[in-house]
Amino acid sequence: MPYHQFDCSKCISERLHHAVDKEPNENLTDALPLGYLKTIPGTLSERGCAYCGAKHVIGTPMKDVIHLSHGPIGCPYDTWQTKRYISDNDDFQIKYTFATGMKEKHIIFGAKKELKETIKESFRAFPNIKRMTIYQACASALIGDDIDAVAKEIMNEMPDVDIFCCHSPGFAGPSQSAGHHVINIEWVDTKVGQVEPEITSDYVINYIGEYNIQGDQEVMQDYFKRMGIQVLSTFTGNGSYDDLRAMHRAQLNILECARSAEYICNVLRKRYGIPRMDIDGFGFKPMATSLRKIGLFFGIEDRAEAIIEEETKRWQPELDWYVARLKGKKICLWPGGSKLWHWAHVVHDELGLEVVSVYTKFGHQGDMEKGISRCEAGALAIDDPNELETIEAMTKLKPDLIATGKRPGEVAKKIRVPYINAHAYHNGPYKGFEGWVRFARDIYNAIYSPIHQLSFVDISKDEISQDKGFVTRQMLSDKNLDEAVIKSGEMHEYTGEYDSVKKLRGKKYPQYPMTKKVNKKKEEIG
Amino acid sequence: MYMTVESKENMLMNYIMKNYLWQFNSRTWDRKAQNENIIGKMTQILCNEKIKMDTPADRCYWAEAKSLIDEWKCFPWLKKMNITDIKLMMSTLKKDLDTQLITQSLNKELTDPNY
Repeated sequence: MPYHQFDCSKCISERLHHAVDKEPNENLTDALPLGYLKTIPGTLSERGCAYCGAKHVIGTPMKDVIHLSHGPIGCPYDTWQTKRYISDNDDFQIKYTFATGMKEKHIIFGAKKELKETIKESFRAFPNIKRMTIYQACASALIGDDIDAVAKEIMNEMPDVDIFCCHSPGFAGPSQSAGHHVINIEWVDTKVGQVEPEITSDYVINYIGEYNIQGDQEVMQDYFKRMGIQVLSTFTGNGSYDDLRAMHRAQLNILECARSAEYICNVLRKRYGIPRMDIDGFGFKPMATSLRKIGLFFGIEDRAEAIIEEETKRWQPELDWYVARLKGKKICLWPGGSKLWHWAHVVHDELGLEVVSVYTKFGHQGDMEKGISRCEAGALAIDDPNELETIEAMTKLKPDLIATGKRPGEVAKKIRVPYINAHAYHNGPYKGFEGWVRFARDIYNAIYSPIHQLSFVDISKDEISQDKGFVTRQMLSDKNLDEAVIKSGEMHEYTGEYDSVKKLRGKKYPQYPMTKKVNKKKEEIG
Repeated sequence: MYMTVESKENMLMNYIMKNYLWQFNSRTWDRKAQNENIIGKMTQILCNEKIKMDTPADRCYWAEAKSLIDEWKCFPWLKKMNITDIKLMMSTLKKDLDTQLITQSLNKELTDPNY
């Protein structure tokens, strides 16, 4: 696997070891891109900062919490609502953003007073919310404002509230990944073990590294509940602050995004003896394997099999309709971190796509090990590419689609490559069986969009015919398909609802009587 | 078609690297423990030996191992192998995992004391 030299980066010699071409019959010991290093001066990175990684990836998806930034207003405002981590409490955590709004004078005189006033004002404005997280930004960290002392004062004055302080200012590491690490460790060190939960099942898990993007967590929770498993807490999408203080009572930690949340899993494993099981929630086969593994751990494989059978029967014909039309299309998998390996094999095996490149913005070398192992030979693996490198890669690889974030996605559109949002999704959720069909539908809609075809027309010189040119996606996608496929009575387009999550809220689940003697009392012990 | 133990082992290695995640934990000691325990339990399942399930960790290793063995029904030759060959193949498999992911790994984080 030779390292890949971008023409545009020949003048930045350090970049050579950040990209690798996967060759046949070679393995991870031949070459591996460097990762999780400081961005090289002179190259324009698309990464987030450590503050954003702590607050906006991990912290803010907690649903019943006031999330407060101690810093200038730009820090929370510019990173607010960049992800669609919804919740079943009317999306409180994404409707509002809170900040002390530090200004120049506070850099000179400090802003502890403003912090205390803002905390009180926030709790007054939302009297039903009794939990808060406070995040240091660069400015408040540099001047040394003691946010812990202020939080302690408030908790003494207002005994019914609880506050978590996160010390991950923007400069705390090379990328948002540093913030993931900091908040994982701070949460487990300062909050876990403070609440004793009510145990309602013989089978109890924490679901970790899941952020409920457009409802992913609720889809997975539905499967778990159908298996009779109690989801004690979710770290952190749609998760409750107090549930996350009770993580120590789970029997198993189910880990989805290892990039952002393996740290807390590892501490829970060492400190409380809770095993870590890594799973894949994307794609039919990986999803089925994941449910089977969890079923095996608890000795309830039959319940897992029943779900797999029901879901596959329901959704396979719809997935097949898209697969027939996507086969052979080239895709660049350019998400932020974990989706490069969650998707690298399964978009090829199940959707028929050819992965021509994988990249990660903030992933570590471990993510590249997984991604390169899973994608096919011929793919170009890139760590933390700059914008010129992505343009060069797209120009040379000529993908039919980019799966990436909205910033690089807009760049792709400008050079006539359609993209789907790998971070916040287009029409998710994408997890689970139905979710995978929604993902296939979004890919299909992007690749065969008639608007996208029109983007190749140069109205300054091309002749525009006014009497022809009407096309639909299906006219484009079915042009070279076999008649048998087009007329298949088995395969058909997605028939699920516009909002596939709503139906899960308030759903009734089978009751499995508990057989083990457990502590059923819920109380705060911290 | 005749297949050597080596070619069979290669096939299984590729399957694990592509479809499973347990071998990629982020520290050297963790990868060693995962490889040893999960490959160990897979070997015991394949050889019909008694399996230790004393702790939740044991059960987790076993669930990963059993899941893989169940999926390997797609390799019909596995059922026809004798115990000696299975043990040889599985020990080579563990050695290869250790080599790629631990001893010759290019992942600098595995031993980074600040990580």
